[in-house]
Formats: sequence, structure tokens, C-alpha cells
Amino acid sequence: MNSGSLTGGRSWPSRTSLTSSGKRIQKEMAELNTDPPADCSAGPKGDNLYHWVATLFGPQGTPYDGGIYFLDITFPANYPFKPPKVVFKTRIYHCNVDSTGNVSLDILEENSWSPALTISKVLLALRSIFTNPNPYKPQVPGIAHLYLVDKSKHDSLAAEWTQRFAK
Amino acid sequence: MFRSNNLTARIFERQIRTPSPGTTIHRARRFYENIVPGSTIYDVECPDHSFRKFTEDGKYLISFSRNHQDLIVYRPTWLTFSCKQEDCYAQDLPPKAKKFESFFTQIYSVPLASASELICKDFFLYAESNQFGLFATSTAQIYDAPATGGAIQGVPSIEKITFHLLRLEDGVVLDERVFCNDYINLAHSMGVFLYDDLLAIVSLRYQHIHILQIRDSGTLVDVRAIGDFCREDDQLFLNSSSQGMSSIEKSVSQHIPVNNVANGPHLEQVPQENPFLSGIKQRLLSFIVREIRNEEEDETMRIQSLKKKFYFHFQDYVDLIIWKVQFLDRHHLLIKFGSVDGAVSRNADNHPAFFAVYNMESTEIIAFYQMSSDKLYLLFEQFCDHFHVASKNSPYMNFISSHSNNIHALEQLRSSKNKATSFSLFVKKVMASLPFNCQSQSPSPYFDQSLFRFDEKLISAADRHRQSTDHPIKFILRRPPHTLKFKIKPGPEAGITDCRTRRISSFLFHPILPLALSVQQSLFLQPAFVNIHFRK
Repeated sequence: MNSGSLTGGRSWPSRTSLTSSGKRIQKEMAELNTDPPADCSAGPKGDNLYHWVATLFGPQGTPYDGGIYFLDITFPANYPFKPPKVVFKTRIYHCNVDSTGNVSLDILEENSWSPALTISKVLLALRSIFTNPNPYKPQVPGIAHLYLVDKSKHDSLAAEWTQRFAK
Repeated sequence: MFRSNNLTARIFERQIRTPSPGTTIHRARRFYENIVPGSTIYDVECPDHSFRKFTEDGKYLISFSRNHQDLIVYRPTWLTFSCKQEDCYAQDLPPKAKKFESFFTQIYSVPLASASELICKDFFLYAESNQFGLFATSTAQIYDAPATGGAIQGVPSIEKITFHLLRLEDGVVLDERVFCNDYINLAHSMGVFLYDDLLAIVSLRYQHIHILQIRDSGTLVDVRAIGDFCREDDQLFLNSSSQGMSSIEKSVSQHIPVNNVANGPHLEQVPQENPFLSGIKQRLLSFIVREIRNEEEDETMRIQSLKKKFYFHFQDYVDLIIWKVQFLDRHHLLIKFGSVDGAVSRNADNHPAFFAVYNMESTEIIAFYQMSSDKLYLLFEQFCDHFHVASKNSPYMNFISSHSNNIHALEQLRSSKNKATSFSLFVKKVMASLPFNCQSQSPSPYFDQSLFRFDEKLISAADRHRQSTDHPIKFILRRPPHTLKFKIKPGPEAGITDCRTRRISSFLFHPILPLALSVQQSLFLQPAFVNIHFRK
């Protein structure tokens, strides 16, 4: 197992000697477990610290109510200096999530990411897009346009998507 | 209470006594103790076909030609012959009557196979209400097929699988359904389940459960495909509401059905990975999450158990594939999930597997069990007949012995449970039979365990090939006086002289008449020994 890191063919960090990014992720995991944000949870897939799954529960009072959304979170090797990559694995009708599940979130962009941010903060930010979509910086202009022009139609469509694809 | 076993006494008793309420059929079935297929015509001269089975209403005998090209259907008729001597009952049958033709009349022979396709001789399903038969032909398997167009890596491919819907009365092909570059487990009809007029076909390669309806008019109609999507119009909905979205989504979603059910030549698609969880997986994962959340009251415990039970195994759940499906009723499916390796290996018992109950109308997962779940086992022990669903219009199918309707079968199950070294291994072994193969059990009353006792290793209602022994198989009365009523002996009368070759037997019992065929085959391509067992 460990010979891989010597040859340089390994893309994931060795588990025997935790890198600083690994330590940081572990610390954030402990933090997340003691003080979890509402309506969401996350954890590492298998024994790979750098690959997480998050579950977001559609908040009440939004068209996403009742939906359960799974997201892939991938931490870069130089975390927390680079932001994690977040992708929706559940279909969602949302102006900030593109047709392949990529989510645009201010804090997840390289320029605005800060090493002070944690996974809990990321989850909170992700949760907030359910309640407050940002139509002025859309991934899908069509949905953003509908959101601004005819919110009730947008909401009924989003609710239909929730029923069909996120239950 | 003593009851005579004499047939005349029984008929007389039937005249004067009213049976207890609800036992009329059981009473009538007891006459089978008197009427048994005790005579045998050994090595009967018969056409060299592979005999598949009697239909469940006993109207047809299905057979295929040895070259897997033609379907030959016979009508079972009862033997008639005349004899000149007195006391002809004691006489042996006249040689003219000792023929296959005196028991079966050929109705027709139709070619089903085409140039490249052959009939799958293990596959046959019967829709009793309208006397339609479903047959399958296929081309050869390709084991190292590249996984293109959303196919699962590691599942073999069959270039063309055709299902033929026939009217058995006259052999007219009513409809066909073609699956291209797909893999459907046709052996013992494993990948297909028929319930009333609904057909579930599992595409292992593309991970879809195709629900089809057999209409009375004889057409196969698509009801829905469960897999990527759950509702029948999800695809349409997605296409229409994502018009404002980018073009990637559209091409991803549109290419999917083309691969699965194509009635024309298949076009190679550029492989394009769907970034989202499939519809059925989304339902499954959200069910698991909700269950864990509801299980734990305490917030910190809940987080720990989500982490350990869910996130840690997340990828394993995502990698599960649909192995096999059966209907529980018109809305509910019992789906078995497992790994890719387990789906294609011959011995799937060693691979971990899961069961899910899915309501295809509400598109909800109702329950999810591990293979070795005690809870599911207890349900199975008590309510086995709910798993053995028979179509509504065949009441005699309800008399197939199971451990839920028959005390002797239950005793047998209990005793093997007590003998088992580990309970969880035992549960695993029993659950391996779920979901049941469709129409895999013979409704013949001679397999009714309240009437007869027999060695289940050698013969049973389950439709399967068995290693042949040289001893006749004994059917012993279950009730006093526990006497031997009849014997079934496959193979030549004199027994097997050459002990080195392995011989396989299969038994075809008529569902109503005291009539059975035993077919013994050695593994070489010699013609089979066919014996006719009947009541003289």
C-alpha cells in the first residue's frame, strides 16, 4: 500500500502519516459531529478522508421541501488553501446548479475562498441556496429568468422536480 | 378418525357426508391418493425434442426441437385403446398403444428462431387467462462486451434478444419485443416475471426494469421503465422543462431509451456518463437516510450511525445493481440488489445482497433488508405464500405446498433450521431463493405434501434438473396407512449399466391428470430416455 506514494503514482495522500490537510479535515469532521447544522449532514465515503458525501434536506417553506439531495464533496490535496469541489448527485431545478450538478456558490470560488471557512460553513451556504437562490449570478439563466419574472411558476416547477427526482 | 382408503367407499362417503366448510377442494384432492400414475412405459418412442413443461392449466405440452429452431406444441389426450381378450385390465398395454402419440397429439410446429437467434429452451411463461405463451430467442453471449451507452461494466452482452408472444391455440405470433446489446437472464426465466397481465423484464446491462402489459388483443405495451427514472413521464417532463437548460442535459437524457428497447438495428452511441444518481438509487439512498434518522432519537448518536452505516458505505450502495425482480402484487416489486460480480457468477450465494420492496405507482421504497435479515426471514417463514404470487385466475396454484400452508413443509423447514450450524447462514441460504422464479413450480397434486411424502432431493414441485439415481422415486401416503402408492423411475427399465456417465433427470407432471413424463439425459448428445408415467 505504501509503496505507491514512493513511486508517485498515488493521487491520494497516505493514511499512515496524515498530511496537514488530512488533519484539518479530521478536525472539521469532529467539529461537524459535535455541532451539526440543521437539515444537513455529511461524512467521508469509505475510508477516504478527501471524498465526502453530504445530504441536504429540502427546508420547509421552499419548493424543495421533502426532497433529499445528495452531494459529492471532494477536498483538494492542498485543502484548506483551495476550496472543496461540490457537485449535486440529485437532480434539482435551481438557477445556481447547472445541468450536470455543478453548483455555483460565491464562497466556493477560488478567489473568494478563505482557509478560515470550514465544511460546516460550506454546508450552511449550500443550505441557504434553497431558501435564497441567487438569480443575478445564475448557472442556468432560464431558471433565473423565470424566478425573477414568475416566481410562482418557478416554485411549482421546482416542487415538481423535487417530487419526481429528489424523493 | 378412521377413513377408508377404498375408492368406492370414498365416493360413497362423498355422497352422504358434507365436508367441513371450506374443505371441499381438499376433500376432492384426496382422491388423488387413489388415482396415481403408477404404470410406466419405459423408453417410449417419441420425437427427439426437448420437452419443456405442461402449461399450468394442462392444456398444452411445450417442447422445442433439438436444434433450438422450432416450437412444437402438443395437446395431452387420454389414452384410448381397444383390446380383444377378456380381463384386459390385467393385460399389458397393446404395443400399438405404447406410443407417445397415444398420449399427445401434435397441434402445430412453428419456427421461432431466425438465422442468428436460437430458442432459449429454459425460457417459457404462460399467460393463462388468454392462453398466450411467451418465448425467447437470442444470439450468443459476448462476455467481454465494452460498456457503452450507459451499460454496466462487467455484464456480458447479447446482441439480440427477442420475446415472442404466441397464441398457443394455433401458434400465431401475436407480438414481438426486441432488446439489443442487452443482457437479460433467460435461464429458468430468472430475468422475467409475469403477474396477471404484467410483465417485468430486468435488463441487467442497462439496469432497467421494463414493465410491459400483455393486452387481450395480443400486443405487448410498454407501461414504464424503472431505473434511470421512476415515473413513466419523467423523461418527457425533464426534456420539456429543461428547455432553458444547456444542451448537455438533453443529449444525456435523450439517448437512454434508444439503447434499451430498440426495435431496429442498434446504433452505437458515444458513451456519456450521467452525472446524477439513477431514479431508483435516489429513492433507495433517501430511504436509507430517512430510516437511520428516524431510528436514532439522540442527535449525536444519529450522526455517528449516519457516518458508520450510511456515508461509509455510500459508494457500495451506489454500486449496487438490480439482480432480480418479482411482483408481490400489481403495484409492489421485490427487488434484489447486489454487486456486479454476483449478478453474472453462477453461484451468487456468496455475494452480499439486499432486498427492497418498491411501490412502482407511488415510486417509493417501502422496505429495505439485508440478505441475512431476521425480520425478512420471519416474514418469509410465516407468509411464504405472499412471495409465491400466482395469477388470480388459477385457483389450483394456491395448492402448491409451501411452509406457510403445509404443516409438513413447515416441519421440514424448522428441522433444517435447527440442524443449521449458524442461524444467519441458514437465513442467507433460504433467502437466496428470493425473489422466486416465475412459474417455477408444478401445481401437480402428487407434489402436495399433505397427500404424499417423497424425497425432495430427488423430485419436487420445483422445475429443475436433478442428478439421476438408479433407484425409483417412491411416493408414500402421508396419512395412515403410510403405504407406498407409486414409483417414478426415470431412465431405462433395466437400470443404468454404465455408471460412469452422469445422468440428469427432469420430470414433467401434468397439473391435473395422473400423467407425467420423465426425461433422463446423459451429458453427451445422446437422445434422451423418455418414460411416460400414467394410470392404467
